[in-house]
Amino acid sequence: MMLRSVLASSALLATTSLISPALADDPLRVVASFSILGDMVEVVGGDAVAVTTIVGRGEDAHVYEPVPTDAANVAEADLIFVNGLSFEGSIERLIEASGTTAPVAVASVGINVLMTDEDDHSDHSDHDDHDDHNHDEHAHDDHDDHDHDEHAHDDHDDHDHDEHAHDDHDDDHDHDDHDHDEHAHDDDGHDDHDHDEHAHDDHHDHDHGPEDPHAWQSLDAAQIYAANIADALCDLDADSCETFEANAAAYGEQLEALHQQYEAQFSDLEASERVFITAHQAFGYLARDFDFTILSPQGLSTESEASAADVARLIDQIRETGAQALFVEANADPRLLEQIASETGVSVSDTPLYSDWLSDEDGPAATYLAMMTHNLNALVAALVTN
Amino acid sequence: MTHSHASNLCLTFNDLTLGYGSHPAVHGLTGDIEHGTLLAVVGPNGSGKSTLLKGIAGLLTPMGGTFVHADACRMAYLPQQADIDRTFPATVFDLVSLGLWPKRGLLGRMTREDRESIKTALQAVGLNGFANRTIDTLSGGQLQRALFARVLLQDADLILLDEPFNAIDTKTVEDLLGVIARWHGEDRTVIAGMHDLDLVREHFPQALLLSREPLAWGETEEVLHPANLLKARRFNAAWDEQAEWCADHDHAQGHGNVHPLPSDRVA
Amino acid sequence: MSAYDFLIAPFADYAFMQRALLGGLLIAFSAAPVGVFLMLRRMSLTGDAMAHAILPGAALGFLIFGLELLPMTLGGLIAGALVAAGAGLVARMTVQKEDASLAAVYLISLAFGVMIVSLRGSSIDLMHVLFGSVLALNTQSLIMIGSITGMTVLTLGIIWRALVAECLDPGFLRSVSALGPIVHFIFLALVVLNLVAGFQALGTLLSVGLMILPAATARFWTRTALSLCALAVALALLSVIAGLLISYHLAIASGPAVILAAGVIYLSSLLVEPRWLVLSNLPKHRHKVA
Repeated sequence: MMLRSVLASSALLATTSLISPALADDPLRVVASFSILGDMVEVVGGDAVAVTTIVGRGEDAHVYEPVPTDAANVAEADLIFVNGLSFEGSIERLIEASGTTAPVAVASVGINVLMTDEDDHSDHSDHDDHDDHNHDEHAHDDHDDHDHDEHAHDDHDDHDHDEHAHDDHDDDHDHDDHDHDEHAHDDDGHDDHDHDEHAHDDHHDHDHGPEDPHAWQSLDAAQIYAANIADALCDLDADSCETFEANAAAYGEQLEALHQQYEAQFSDLEASERVFITAHQAFGYLARDFDFTILSPQGLSTESEASAADVARLIDQIRETGAQALFVEANADPRLLEQIASETGVSVSDTPLYSDWLSDEDGPAATYLAMMTHNLNALVAALVTN
Repeated sequence: MTHSHASNLCLTFNDLTLGYGSHPAVHGLTGDIEHGTLLAVVGPNGSGKSTLLKGIAGLLTPMGGTFVHADACRMAYLPQQADIDRTFPATVFDLVSLGLWPKRGLLGRMTREDRESIKTALQAVGLNGFANRTIDTLSGGQLQRALFARVLLQDADLILLDEPFNAIDTKTVEDLLGVIARWHGEDRTVIAGMHDLDLVREHFPQALLLSREPLAWGETEEVLHPANLLKARRFNAAWDEQAEWCADHDHAQGHGNVHPLPSDRVA
Repeated sequence: MSAYDFLIAPFADYAFMQRALLGGLLIAFSAAPVGVFLMLRRMSLTGDAMAHAILPGAALGFLIFGLELLPMTLGGLIAGALVAAGAGLVARMTVQKEDASLAAVYLISLAFGVMIVSLRGSSIDLMHVLFGSVLALNTQSLIMIGSITGMTVLTLGIIWRALVAECLDPGFLRSVSALGPIVHFIFLALVVLNLVAGFQALGTLLSVGLMILPAATARFWTRTALSLCALAVALALLSVIAGLLISYHLAIASGPAVILAAGVIYLSSLLVEPRWLVLSNLPKHRHKVA
């Protein structure tokens, strides 16, 4: 009798577990291509996911060399997240080579892509005021961001964005992705595409295509990332979908709140004050969100080298704009920026900015939210409280 | 200008054995060499001539026996194939001036006197006007002359020449023999490895016939006696892997030890 | 654009250009003569080998001290010295020649370095951080370059005779002096010093390029070691000035610009030099009587 009920209940248990394998406790094995993405996935996925990242904290995805453990993780994963926008170079090949059957979800789908315009180099120098591009011409998909003609010395009219009086940025970061550059600007006939000709020589570092991949630097884009992550997780685990979407929504609210908070902090800044100097071309999305102009030595990136013209141009611009905020990046060689700083009298910010990776867990940028807060605080400290 | 230097020995060999690996190339040489000797070392190919000279020059450590080199006997060594980088951008002057190293060392300044002696040396070897020629433009004979000039400058008491006339034109050979004679006249000791027996008969009062072991040593005429030469011709230069290990050398037993015959030194 | 605008203004207007010029000129005095001897001893590829060989030293410096330039540079120096000394010893004491011994040792060193970097698990581009740029010369780098130049010129002056003898007729030197091997290793030490300091301050391309190209060019023109050195220095100086101006006016990366300037001079010499094959195959016109 006892035995019969034991047998029966075991049979029931066994059947139940056979019928609903998804109810099993094992979390989904998820692989994220780099630390920032990994953090987001953890937030959205919560306990239902076990996340491993390929390019970890403090590691530079541009020079990353995969190790066998990475391939193993990828092969055994249930789901893989990548950033997209040509950010993952060798990692994509790793994924292919691993023979994994897991679906690969691109986190940046649907965001408002920023184009890079790295090439223009010094050409800007000679233009005085051209409002070269009125955006309208650029029928470039969806940016209507600002095209500020780069060389506006005085008149900037194009910006529809507000009035950024950006003098000439030769920021690669493109605020205005589309070429401002060299084309003599009166013939606005060109639409951005000419940009592309500027072959991105300096792309090597990132081997990026014409699209700027650092979309996570935009809090708005991050909300889309979170939504995409939730969708991908839902496809895999429908039962927990509600949780994922709730997490993503809550996260989205935090991101929005952060955005508003800093928007307010920056609101008193004049257009001419919304300028900062850094080396890495990673902050374009951030700059777009908050209407900043970034000055950067053209072509300065992990592998390419600056020309004297680039550096001279930058110094000129800094002097002209009166930019006061200069940031070096964590784990990069600061010497060139320091030289520029000393020549222009700008002081180097004590706080380095984080662009492509999270810091160690006890560091200032241990999560994505912490990283964005850290970067924005640094900007506030340099630009507002001065 | 003869005088006995019986107590002024430049080199003393005591059962000297020199070789490579475990095979001797010079086996059991005993004897002395006095200051002022002009000695030709002869023998078939592989008989140990070069090895002996290298040993005396200090480039090889003896495998057995000893040799003593008097301090007052400063040495200059001219190897068979000079290790010279002919493509190095140097002039004859540069090359020859190396001979002043014993005097000037690393940092000593070259005096006017030095320049004069270099010119004189070049004259002595028949290289007048060659001072500024780069060494890559020299013929074999000219290079050898330059090297002799360098030896001249070294002002050495003991001069070792390893086959100095290999592939050299006759005129050069004549001229350089003149230089050797001059050295002999200055009472310097000259030991030369030679393969041209006619030259040896004509220009070298003393000879040492080697075929691994010393076969004869003394006055050239006697050493180059046909009987000796025949013995030498039977010499087998090949290394014998099956050879026995040599028991302790005993001077008295000898391996055919040969001492230089006492002779009247003739100027 | 006036001559002033073209030649002088870039340097007058920007401090970073002045520093670049100073640093470049200093290194020209030091690297060019070292390069002459490297070339004469058929060790011209040592520079590139050394750029890779220093990795384990820099990596260890990074492991222990983090991303600090000084320990990484010192580590690189030590690694470079060990590689050079090791290769030199192998070449002197065995049948192996220097090109093979250097290749073998530097490859081992490089592999070691890559292994150390990957053990740490961090893929920071170490070499990129370690290798500088002529446009980013801070005071510390300038002082470093200056001291190395001073040390090199002084040392070369002292060991000159022995160095020439060691290149020209090492057997002879051995027979009159024990200085040969010592001088050889001192020279290697100078090579490593100049290279590592050069990498750190100026980057590999500029540093190795200024060592080899002017020396190779000078070889077409003069016949003695001293004049080779003098001409090489002059050509290096010229390349630095021309390169910086090109980088400024044509917006070309600075390191490559200097080396391309040196390269143009080299190629022109190839075509024009009196003893070069091309010319000697052209129909001859006159010759002297004797």
